[in-house]
Amino acid sequence: MAPAPSLPIHPPNGPVNGDASKQPPQGRSSQKSMTKAERRELQEKQRAAKAAAKAGGPVNGAPSKQAAKPTPQATAAATPKRPTKSNEAPAPTASALRTQTAARARAASVSVPTPANARGLRIFSHFGLPKPVSVAKGDIHPTILRLALQFSEFKITDYATPPNNTLSRHLMTYLSPQISHLVAARPMSVTMGNAIRQLKLEISGSDIDLPEQDAKDALCQKIDNYIRDRIIIADQVIEETAGNKIKDGDVILTYARSSVVQKVLLGAHAEGRQFSVIVVDSRPMLEGKRLLSVLASAGIQCTYILLPALGAIITEVTLVLVGAHSIHSNGAVYSRAGTALVAMMAKLHSVPVVVCCETYKYSETVQLDSFTKNELAPQGDLFSSFPSVKARDSLTLENDEHLEILNPLYDLTPPNCITAVVTEVGVIPPNSIGSIPVALGRLL
Amino acid sequence: MCIECLKLPPLHRHCDLPAKIVIMASEASSSKGEFDIYQTYRKILDDEEMSPPLAAILSLSQLMVESNAGTMFELVKELHDGAEELKRHTTNPISLNAGCELFIAFVTLFPHESDSFAELKTELVKQGQKYAKEAISYRNKIAELMLDFIKDDSVILTHSYSRVVMRALLHAHKTKRISVYVTEARPRGLGVKTHEVLTAVGIPCTVVLDSAVAYVMDKVDFVLVGSEAVVESGGLINAVGSNQMAIIAKAAHKPFYALAESYKFHRLFPLSQYDLPTHNPSILSFPSLPPRPFVTPPTTSGVSPPIAKSGIDESLNVTPTSSSERSMSAEMTAKNPDVDYTRPDLISLVFSDVGILTPEAISQYLVAMFAG
Repeated sequence: MAPAPSLPIHPPNGPVNGDASKQPPQGRSSQKSMTKAERRELQEKQRAAKAAAKAGGPVNGAPSKQAAKPTPQATAAATPKRPTKSNEAPAPTASALRTQTAARARAASVSVPTPANARGLRIFSHFGLPKPVSVAKGDIHPTILRLALQFSEFKITDYATPPNNTLSRHLMTYLSPQISHLVAARPMSVTMGNAIRQLKLEISGSDIDLPEQDAKDALCQKIDNYIRDRIIIADQVIEETAGNKIKDGDVILTYARSSVVQKVLLGAHAEGRQFSVIVVDSRPMLEGKRLLSVLASAGIQCTYILLPALGAIITEVTLVLVGAHSIHSNGAVYSRAGTALVAMMAKLHSVPVVVCCETYKYSETVQLDSFTKNELAPQGDLFSSFPSVKARDSLTLENDEHLEILNPLYDLTPPNCITAVVTEVGVIPPNSIGSIPVALGRLL
Repeated sequence: MCIECLKLPPLHRHCDLPAKIVIMASEASSSKGEFDIYQTYRKILDDEEMSPPLAAILSLSQLMVESNAGTMFELVKELHDGAEELKRHTTNPISLNAGCELFIAFVTLFPHESDSFAELKTELVKQGQKYAKEAISYRNKIAELMLDFIKDDSVILTHSYSRVVMRALLHAHKTKRISVYVTEARPRGLGVKTHEVLTAVGIPCTVVLDSAVAYVMDKVDFVLVGSEAVVESGGLINAVGSNQMAIIAKAAHKPFYALAESYKFHRLFPLSQYDLPTHNPSILSFPSLPPRPFVTPPTTSGVSPPIAKSGIDESLNVTPTSSSERSMSAEMTAKNPDVDYTRPDLISLVFSDVGILTPEAISQYLVAMFAG
């Protein structure tokens, strides 16, 4: 579990110019409630200074949260932002962290130029922070995936092998900057990684002797096949399999908006099954509204609630159907933030939880919590709220330097809360997710 | 005949089966001009040692012998039709299903090496019969695997009557001291049959009420049950009462072992009790009472309206007995389930002829077997 240090606060999109020059002592002395932390800080100063001397490594992305920024604004210890899973003794860590950064700042001796990219919350600095990029950003990740594949495809068609070089080797290096460009737009997701790895495998396997145009055509064909088999047809199989689990009279609960779940529900309704749906939504994304409008216009009886109201209706629910961003080999499901709550609540009330997930979302890594890997939602004006009911700027509080908005996009549902995972290779219990590669291997 | 079979009452001997099977199967079909798969099936099931899935496999093999199909496609279609026919006649088709699906998958995936279709058919039939013959010995394998888990002076709790559990207990009895509690397993009362068999060979055995499982659990070393089917989630489908036993065993920290031959592994995935194919709306349904006329709220004297009372009396249908014990009517019993589903997290291990598996491994085995 992650310790929760008290956070120096930055405005979300990088420090406002004037703040960068603030020195730690100034900020700290202005807060009364810091005395306890200060005392501890004095005790641990030596230890921290020693640690600071050792830790000279890269600043960003280290999971140990030693991502110390050079000029912290040591404020707001009074109301530290603690993630729901907080550890004992956060204060020593916090003070150690602060002392260390203070020590480092002093060691640097001059006001270190702050990196141009956003800092945001220090402890969540390892989350991918969204940056405005010219490349269009999709909200739903299969779209991004297709975008990535089509993007690469476009580049493959456009590409010409330089003389004295084989297609396979050169194309790979040509693609790398494209891929990093995409990753810069949005952190690499499991699905993107899987697709790109598959593409690279195909490229390296391409025959050297084939004429260039043929090789390129073959690769484009492979990409098309990937999209068709692993995404489109997979969705159809899942729609049918999960649809069979829906019986007349069911009350189905779903969370936010999953395109697969939408297909399943529409498909079952088209087959004439009588059921009703409860759409659970949460701020700030409010993606459920779009799902609600699609289902309601298809004639399905729907109820719409926000996440905090879940406890009141859970006793009415007979089946929970959710989508996933990715599934991991330990059976954990990485999905829209809030899914874990829905699953845990359902488990407590003995309601089966079914996750609909294509196999291209399978990752062989093991994930144990929502903290080590996550993304922060973009701020106000990049939300897709449908229809938007609040003024965009009320969703950001850019001007308040004492308040930070934390909006992780995803969370992890532990395997014991999930009853079954529906994939195109079959219905699999969460603890046996590891058998997906075996099943796939037989099909490929 | 082996020594142990000589000791057993005739119905529980297993040695002289294989030859009997083929004779019985062909007898059933030769009696009529047309092949009746259900008759064949029933005749094979006459043999005590046969379980529904094996009988299904043999019936389907016999169907292949009689079939006039010219192509693989036709043959598989005939097999599907035969399986449907068998399913229609039984109220609890789960284990039957398992056997049918296994055999049809086997036929579909069998490598087509032979030149002519007739040769292929003969080969398939031979394989089917060979499998059934071998499958009878699976119970012995499982009994052998179970032996190491049974210590001297073990107290075992089992449920209803299961042939594979019987085999395991009898095998253990040869070298170890065991005593057995068995639940009555209402409404069929098969636990009493278990009691008879065990007492006949000298194993101390006591029948406990289904409602006394929690009472007896602390005296027990582990729980051992058979199975109708083991499903894809790693869960167990068995006579009703097994789920209860598993929950109590978990609460009392006692291991819960399930014995299942590999042909009982089924690709079904029930999400809950009510997702079982055997569940239908009449099970555990409330009776529709005649509509109550509107009654005025009770007066201060507290006189209860007489009409409602008589309505309840009518539907109870209690047959007045002079003894202090009452029993459920057939109508009441019909509203109760025959089998229930035990979740995989309640099961410690599944003992099977393919090895000792954890519930998670069941799914991997099934995927490996059926995925192609």
